[in-house]
Amino acid sequence: MEWLTALAIGTLFGIGVFQLLRRNVIRSIIGVLILLNSVNLFLLSAGAYQGTQAAYTTAVGQPSDALPQALVLTAIVIGLGGVAFVLALINVISARYQTSDQDQISGLRN
Amino acid sequence: MLNAHILLLPILLPLAGAMVTLLVGNRPRYQGSLALLVLLASLFSSLVLLTQVWTNDQTMSLQLGGWQVPFGISLVGDLLSATLVVMSQLVLTLGVIYSLGAKDQVMNIRTYYPFFLMMSTGLTGAFLTGDLFNFFVFAELLVISGAALTAISDDRFGVEAAYKYFYISLLASIFLLLGIGTLYISYGTLNMADLSQRIRADPGQPLLSIGAVLLFATFMVKSAAFPLHFWQPDFHTASPTAVSAMLSSVVVKLGVYGFLRMTTLIFIDQAEWIRGLLLAVGALGILYGGFAAIGTDNVKRMLAYSTIAQVGFILVAIGWGTPLALAAVVFFAFSHSLIKAGMLMLAGAIVSRAPIKSAAFEVVTGVGKTAPALGIFFLLGGLALAGIPPTSGFISKLLFFRSGIEEQDFLLLGLIAVASLLTLIYAIRAFQRIWWVPGVQETKTKKAGDSFAAPAVLIILVLVLGLWPEPLVRLAEEISATLVTPASYLIAVLGGG
Repeated sequence: MEWLTALAIGTLFGIGVFQLLRRNVIRSIIGVLILLNSVNLFLLSAGAYQGTQAAYTTAVGQPSDALPQALVLTAIVIGLGGVAFVLALINVISARYQTSDQDQISGLRN
Repeated sequence: MLNAHILLLPILLPLAGAMVTLLVGNRPRYQGSLALLVLLASLFSSLVLLTQVWTNDQTMSLQLGGWQVPFGISLVGDLLSATLVVMSQLVLTLGVIYSLGAKDQVMNIRTYYPFFLMMSTGLTGAFLTGDLFNFFVFAELLVISGAALTAISDDRFGVEAAYKYFYISLLASIFLLLGIGTLYISYGTLNMADLSQRIRADPGQPLLSIGAVLLFATFMVKSAAFPLHFWQPDFHTASPTAVSAMLSSVVVKLGVYGFLRMTTLIFIDQAEWIRGLLLAVGALGILYGGFAAIGTDNVKRMLAYSTIAQVGFILVAIGWGTPLALAAVVFFAFSHSLIKAGMLMLAGAIVSRAPIKSAAFEVVTGVGKTAPALGIFFLLGGLALAGIPPTSGFISKLLFFRSGIEEQDFLLLGLIAVASLLTLIYAIRAFQRIWWVPGVQETKTKKAGDSFAAPAVLIILVLVLGLWPEPLVRLAEEISATLVTPASYLIAVLGGG
């Protein structure tokens, strides 16, 4: 089952990168969101010694590591704050520049 | 045994201060003085920390919550961290002093000073932590407060600059998280000292170099090294003057600190190719920053491009990696922080006197006539940037050239000599245009602008360091001695021997 997890994370990462590179600011930030989630899943899977085994349920098999789960919680909160901040920025930008195209947001070009 | 709890003070004081200043948000003046007091206290505690570490010649470490190392979070204050904390708190304190005397609208926004203090927390925390994930958390705190401060800037393009910066920083934190994940999978620890030991014991892990590359990319974004620099000039131009002075001086040093730790602590055996990459990245940055600074027609933008070049110098010295070069890195980083913060504040003070609020040369030409004292400081700062005596810039360039000659790297030395010449050209040209050439709109300049007490202090410090560099040079040499023998760091954190 480990290959399935790996494949899912990889697919998510790919979708995230693709969306990130879109010109529309909203699509792009959704890409960041997907990317952040795939990284979180990656961290989570870093703690599982055997891809499918839950922590401390069976006497046999190794329990999964609790530290990455704590890391993921922190990363989720930080990612949430970051994405919320970007959305607020996008809100102001779209009002000020009257556009949602990243290429049009270029008032600072020297 | 010293009380290691003093390590907490430079982190907790600004954090607590941020909350308190937020509570008194309806009185901006009061808020500013409170922020100043907090930062002065924090500066004092970091000075105490530095003297303790220095005089006792002992790295301090604190395990938070009493968790046994390496399971909990460690705070580590070695000479390098303590010096960088003193540097950042010094510059941040002067930044608050500048904000108190500034005329910008942004100082009246009630979240300005809290974010400023948060920036301080993030910076000192990232310097003092001994845990990679904790480093990520503090770096995020730093990034988000810097971006928020830029987004509320008087400059209407502040939001755009904040957007660009924060976007690339989000991607950098994704890199950092991936790097943390790969290192954790391979070695099962995030404590930098423990990681260093385990990597030395077992360098064959397949994910090791991937983790190293991811960390490298992260620190490149943090220090605005050449190919990942594109957000930096925008960001440093659009933010409020006091903030841009912080960002362009101390905040970029976070990436420099990361590179130092990478090459001297975490990846000791892999340092060879990391150093090679740093040499290439640094050389490109020096060239690009120098030429871009000459080509631009905006004072603040010129100084921002100059930061790219100066960070390039530092990266090249880390790339040489000899003890002398590392001492040069520390001295260079310290003196560049003072110089660049002072120069940006001077530029901001000039812009505040200009008829319209813009740092473009065509607007500020001739504005300097109303404030000749500013011109003297600006000229001194420009000379320091180019490395002309009697400023600290000269000492840092001297150390730099000595380490380069020791390394026999004459190609890069030639490049650096050319870049120093470029620095002289653009600094003097800016001085000429602002103070020498008669302006067309001379009558319309405002009489009163931002107070320039803070940049004056910074430039005087630069002069003092140039005339009496002994203590800092000795400190830098001791720091490089501890950096090349990481064993003392490992023992201080992990205990035993």
